[in-house]
Amino acid sequence: MANLNNIIIQIIGGAGASLIIFFSTLIISLPLGLLITFPRMSKFKPLSAFFVFIISLLRGTPLMLQLIVWYYGPYYLFGWTLGLSWRVPAIIIGFSINYAAYFAEIFRSGIQSIPIGQYEAASVLGYNKSQTFCKIIFPQMVKRVIPPVTNEIITLVKDTSLAFVITYSEMFTVAKQIAAAKTTIIPLFVAGLFYYVFNYIVAFVMDKVEKSFNYYR
Amino acid sequence: MKSLKIIKTLITLLVVSTFIMSCGNKTVATKMENDKNVDSNVSNKAKFIVGFDAEYPPYGYITDDGSYEGFDLDLAKEICERTGMEFVAQPIDWDSKDLELNSGNIDCIWNGFTVTGRENDYTWSVPYVDNSIVLVVKANSEINKKSDLAGKVVMAQAGSSALTALEDESDTATFELAKSFKSLEQCPDYNNGFMSLESGMIDCLAVDIGVAKYKLNNSNGIFRQLDEKLSNEQYAVGFKKGNTELRDKVQSTLFEMYKDGTFMNIANNYKDFSLPEMVCLGEYVK
Repeated sequence: MANLNNIIIQIIGGAGASLIIFFSTLIISLPLGLLITFPRMSKFKPLSAFFVFIISLLRGTPLMLQLIVWYYGPYYLFGWTLGLSWRVPAIIIGFSINYAAYFAEIFRSGIQSIPIGQYEAASVLGYNKSQTFCKIIFPQMVKRVIPPVTNEIITLVKDTSLAFVITYSEMFTVAKQIAAAKTTIIPLFVAGLFYYVFNYIVAFVMDKVEKSFNYYR
Repeated sequence: MKSLKIIKTLITLLVVSTFIMSCGNKTVATKMENDKNVDSNVSNKAKFIVGFDAEYPPYGYITDDGSYEGFDLDLAKEICERTGMEFVAQPIDWDSKDLELNSGNIDCIWNGFTVTGRENDYTWSVPYVDNSIVLVVKANSEINKKSDLAGKVVMAQAGSSALTALEDESDTATFELAKSFKSLEQCPDYNNGFMSLESGMIDCLAVDIGVAKYKLNNSNGIFRQLDEKLSNEQYAVGFKKGNTELRDKVQSTLFEMYKDGTFMNIANNYKDFSLPEMVCLGEYVK
């Protein structure tokens, strides 16, 4: 039993490393996604085409490859020696930009799902463009995108295990290492349980958020 | 309104039943496939499934055309030809090697597999290669001996013998050395480790000599190996504990191959990695 306690303590250490990626990515990628949504929906064709391309690049290549590019790219492309302190920033940049691409498309679907009549009504009532968006469109968009955003957040929890590709020891790596050292598969199940519990909390919180937006029902 | 409801129910039923049926079909199909596999197993010769890490040259690695090659795989192939078994090369995740072996997915781990520290975990053949762990730095580094590593960032592959050596508290000298590092990092594979070294993320990489030689010969003088070694160690074939029958069969064939010169011929194909100099099977041949 002492053995199991040991395993759990070590995995908790790894869980901390995973949570750093998770929260940093969430905090950066959600606003960044919204920021990308606007040029993506721009009526100025070259601008929107550029962002369509960027998003397709981010969604169409493996996150694992993107992490390697962010981490080793500065040296192999520009010859900059950044040292090990570049590892965590590289991970957070890689994850945030990748997830921002997905969030941008989710936000776009939310914005475009608002009927055109609401824009017309707002215009009749004398709202200008930014007032229309901030006071009428945005709050409704937030309500509608919560389920797909929850999906992405849950995926993000599990994707944190990709960080080991650039030598960052997060939870799943730690579990695999203990499993190899102690020749038992129990650490893998413990790690699985951690992911499940954490995702359960995420789903629970997002459900509460969703309900709190249900003020018209 | 009512008819709409009926239509909805019908559609739902249709979707659900289609799903269930397709699942059922799949199970049947898989089962038939399994049966087929069993049949082919019976009619063909016994399989010898070698588990190896496909990112570990020169012992086992993936070639330009996608096939698996390497010193250990060549030896295993030759053994299969002599004993009439069917050779299967099964790349594995190095961290999961014990799961693969114990669940019977592979018959042995044969991939520059270090005996030191694992003596009692497997049924071993005699060692056939003497390998050591060496320290590799960038060519222009100011590190020249072990003591220069104090306050530096050192890296080793996760689950590798180099890491085990550095984390082994019973080996006081090496453990003290590891404690003097600024940090001891882990990489998922050696290529990643060399990239970290080249790009200046880390100061030194602790790596097996065969891999170090391979990289040093193929990287135009970017890297340099320290004269002082981290440890000396030996490679053998690891079988599931208690499987002495297969071990004896493989080992006696290895001896036979050594005596008629085939073993060294294969080793000479890997001269670039200084494998012939590392072979130590001669000391054990009966």
